[in-house]
Amino acid sequence: MAKSEDCVHILQGLLVFGNVVIGMCGIALTAECIYFVSNPHGVYPLLKATENNDIYAAAWIGIFVGLALFALSILGIIGVIKASRTLLLVYIILMLITFAFEMASCITAATHRDSVTPQLFLKQMLERYQKSEPANDIEVTKTWDELMLQNHCCGVLGPSDWQEYTSAFRLTHSDADYPWPRKCCVLDAQGLPVNLDGCKLGVPGYYNSNGCYDAISGPVNTHAWGVAWFGFAILCWTFCVLLGTMFYWSGIEY
Amino acid sequence: LPYVPHVHPMALPGKVTATTFALERPRCVFDRHADASDAVWLAVAFANASATFRNPRSRADVPPYKQLLTTRSYMTLETAAAAYSCSAPTPPVLRVGGDTACRDQGRQDPCNGPLPSPGPYRVKFLLMGCRGPKAETLWSDPILLRTALSPSTIDPAPSRRGSDVVVIASILASLGAVLATAVLGALGAKVWGSLCHQDLGTDAFTRRSYRTHHIPPALPHSLPPSCGCSPPGLCRSAPQPPAPCQRI
Repeated sequence: MAKSEDCVHILQGLLVFGNVVIGMCGIALTAECIYFVSNPHGVYPLLKATENNDIYAAAWIGIFVGLALFALSILGIIGVIKASRTLLLVYIILMLITFAFEMASCITAATHRDSVTPQLFLKQMLERYQKSEPANDIEVTKTWDELMLQNHCCGVLGPSDWQEYTSAFRLTHSDADYPWPRKCCVLDAQGLPVNLDGCKLGVPGYYNSNGCYDAISGPVNTHAWGVAWFGFAILCWTFCVLLGTMFYWSGIEY
Repeated sequence: LPYVPHVHPMALPGKVTATTFALERPRCVFDRHADASDAVWLAVAFANASATFRNPRSRADVPPYKQLLTTRSYMTLETAAAAYSCSAPTPPVLRVGGDTACRDQGRQDPCNGPLPSPGPYRVKFLLMGCRGPKAETLWSDPILLRTALSPSTIDPAPSRRGSDVVVIASILASLGAVLATAVLGALGAKVWGSLCHQDLGTDAFTRRSYRTHHIPPALPHSLPPSCGCSPPGLCRSAPQPPAPCQRI
């Protein structure tokens, strides 16, 4: 008898501990997703332009799931300590709903991380950079300009992107004067190329030879894996806690 | 002159573009034949028209840039012979086709305008004096310019689905299914048990519930005559002796 009383207390203790961990992970998930949604690396306009911003939808879901997990973990702790069937039933059902949402968020983030390829950005850059008519391509142009300035890079895979393909940029800027955009040149303090002829020819030291894909895919990868794998870990832990809670709930009799 | 003009050997990405190309500047080639007043021209012709090219007799006969498409050759880059001497500290690259201003304004001077088609082209240097051509180099190999592709040929789809997605999706789906089954099973078992008043719980559960709630069992005479559904726990525990409860 004492043994089963101990068993009950051990089970209660484990469930309380499990819910505490869920609560803390929920807060961490919310914080992480808020950080990603705030767009620290400035790549959101590019993703939006490719209609591939479901990674941001997954992060938004993550924010609310994290808060829900925190609230539900408090409910769970109260329910376990008071051994209330009603509270625990509410807890289990709401946790299942939250589980489903977080599952959707993880799978979305992982799937859309896969569809981010260099060719996606290459095509978008060639078709929309410096395109004059539609208004929303100003966003794409500004984002690319800032990206190339801050990361000292050119194009997606390199400046030869502008040579291998025709582009909207090529329509307004002649090949002889602008083999690639001026932002690909090494600029001085006033924003003018240090050596324009050297830049046009591609002399090392006067132009940026590496592509911007690493600067884009690095943050996107971190973002997607942060949402997907951390959410996956939380869900595995939540699964165990929920099973334990259901076992405990089925043992409570009025 | 035995010199062959060639595209600059250094690996520069802008060496050959769609409308320009960069030659290596010849050094010390014309020193023996050039006077101070001579000029070195670059003759550019389509590769299949280089055999029919005739050196102009004087400076007035020099074919201009505008005639490239009709006569299929022109001469440009008139520079003093001193610029090609051994001691001249000039940049080692000659860019052909880099001057877009003279193409637009249509000046008559030698115009180093962009080349209109990918070619292939052949070039040679021509040393012109006051009385006509004095020396020439050999024709270069054919130089083919770049042809750009359309971006619609780019396929943005990923080549293969990553294994991570499959792992996450399959494990999460199975966890969700197990949870849903467990909840439905537990709920169904409880509903079935409360409807059919059978002894479903084990002794351990029953005893545990007593301890958790600290509810003493009801005395047998206060029980309802039939095992109704309120409360099912007490109903089930009626036939057992109250011994465990006294230990509370």
